[in-house]
Amino acid sequence: MHLPEFNYYEPHSLDEAVECLNEGQRGAVVAGGTDLVVALKQRLQKPGFLLSLDKIPSLKGIKSSNEFLSLGAMTTLEEIIKSSLIKERFPALSKAAREVGSPLLRNIATIGGNICLNSRCRFYNQSAFWRSANDLCYKAGGITCHVTKRKNYCASTFCADIPPVLLAYGAVVKLVGPQGERTIMLKDFYTGEGRFPNEIMAGSREILTEVTIPFPPAELKSTYYKFRLRDSIDFPLIGVAVAFEADEKGRCKGIRLVFTGVGSGPFEFRHAGEMLSGSELKEELVAQVAERAAGEIHPLKTDLISPRYKREVAKVIIKEAIMEAGGGR
Amino acid sequence: MMMKKNIHLEINGEIKDLTVDVNRTLLEVLREDLNLTGTKKGCNQGECGACTVLLDGKPVSSCSLLAVKADGKSIFTVEGLAPEGQLHPIQQTFNEKGAIQCGFCTPGMILVTKQLLDSNPSPDEQEIKEAISGNICRCTGYVQIIDAIKALSDVTKK
Ligand SMILES: Cc1cc2nc3c(=O)[nH]c(=O)nc-3n(C[C@H](O)[C@H](O)[C@H](O)COP(=O)(O)OP(=O)(O)OC[C@H]3O[C@@H](n4cnc5c(N)ncnc54)[C@H](O)[C@@H]3O)c2cc1C
Ligand code: SF4
Ligand code: FES
Ligand code: FES
Repeated sequence: MHLPEFNYYEPHSLDEAVECLNEGQRGAVVAGGTDLVVALKQRLQKPGFLLSLDKIPSLKGIKSSNEFLSLGAMTTLEEIIKSSLIKERFPALSKAAREVGSPLLRNIATIGGNICLNSRCRFYNQSAFWRSANDLCYKAGGITCHVTKRKNYCASTFCADIPPVLLAYGAVVKLVGPQGERTIMLKDFYTGEGRFPNEIMAGSREILTEVTIPFPPAELKSTYYKFRLRDSIDFPLIGVAVAFEADEKGRCKGIRLVFTGVGSGPFEFRHAGEMLSGSELKEELVAQVAERAAGEIHPLKTDLISPRYKREVAKVIIKEAIMEAGGGR
Repeated sequence: MMMKKNIHLEINGEIKDLTVDVNRTLLEVLREDLNLTGTKKGCNQGECGACTVLLDGKPVSSCSLLAVKADGKSIFTVEGLAPEGQLHPIQQTFNEKGAIQCGFCTPGMILVTKQLLDSNPSPDEQEIKEAISGNICRCTGYVQIIDAIKALSDVTKK
């Protein structure tokens, strides 16, 4: 399958890029292209032009100050994995980056592309030929969703690996567009809608330029657990990021649990803190948290495993992830 | 009319100036314009690694890389390994160890092996498995491939 026709622009500055995005026809930003090129081959998108961010130097690289770590949108996942600073201070970020796709993809895939990744569904992420054997579903331009049978509704699943980790660390992102620059909490970037999962896909004509995370206190422990069918080259069926802070006696002071693969956006389970706060991480208590969190996720059959099975898996990985972050394992 | 772009790149040590349609992948340009058909087209969607080339020394899937994005970079394909009629030690060892059956994954496997050994001459088994984790082989079951790479590592050679 060849790529459709499009024009290709490679601006050398952000100003030029923003101007370009806002001229007439609808285009798409291309970062590494590991996801977009496949989507174009499958005719899931038909942009009039691609806007490459390759030649804009300010979007590259990892910077740190006393308080913050900033990653340019074009930082590759390989660069993240190689960074000893990230490995030491943000181990869950390092781990999640290592779990994306395969080395062949991580050498070109970017953090910006991972944050902006479209949601996925077994009826949508298929060739044009495959899709034509069915009525087109809502996300593909039709009316009815094949998963939920609802009209004008899409439940496709957000399954990027890195955003849950960034959310657990409290990340903010910088967006630049026709109205200038804005910095928002990463959680506000996501719409929770399957068809247009983030602000940019919903049409804001912006470019994500940078993601920034505060350096956590030394006591904060974090990890990321991913479940998938193959150990490599596979999206998460479910993934969970944990950031856990203990007091000097090892009792829980604060905890964040953020999921991917369970709905149309990243999902934070907000009751872990109240259930664990002030307690030591005893296996039984952690199992209760896992049980309750698994009860609050509502996966649909947008991938190859059943929602029920996914919930069972959730219980196991949530427990293991919390125990590991808490030093219990 | 399809938009075209001039790109300047190095392929297996040779400098090339090419004019390419902006919607062609590096894989298409290598195979169709330059006749470098050692790089294979498998899934054509980033999943199998048959199309692996080294881009500035790092293995990437060329089916998912727009050719225009290779502008200014160096590309190394399996054809660059050894002169016509000769075998590189990696090719020789893959042969001897039965790490090749149908051969479709082989150019990709060999290039990731080259990159691995260039950066880490004595990888352990885990490092070998990680290095080939983006390359799918439907014939060998990987065991012979891992054996071949082990045989090539400095530890074994000593
Ligand atoms: C076989 C295969 C396996 C994969 N496995 C995984 C996996 O396990 N986990 C996972 O998370 N992902 C996976 N991916 C998806 C993808 O490779 C990664 O998410 C990658 O990080 C995307 O980055 P990119 O730079 O290649 O994005 P691109 O493909 O360039 O872009 C992705 C999307 O984001 C938009 N975009 C990119 N950058 C910006 C920006 N700076 N501003 C605005 N919009 C932007 C693009 O317009 C596009 O819609 C897989 C892909 C393939 C083909
Ligand atoms: S969830 Fe429904 S509308 Fe969305 S991609 Fe899947 S089938 Fe289509
Ligand atoms: S052909 Fe490129 S990864 Fe399969
Ligand atoms: S030898 Fe046939 S795919 Fe590997």
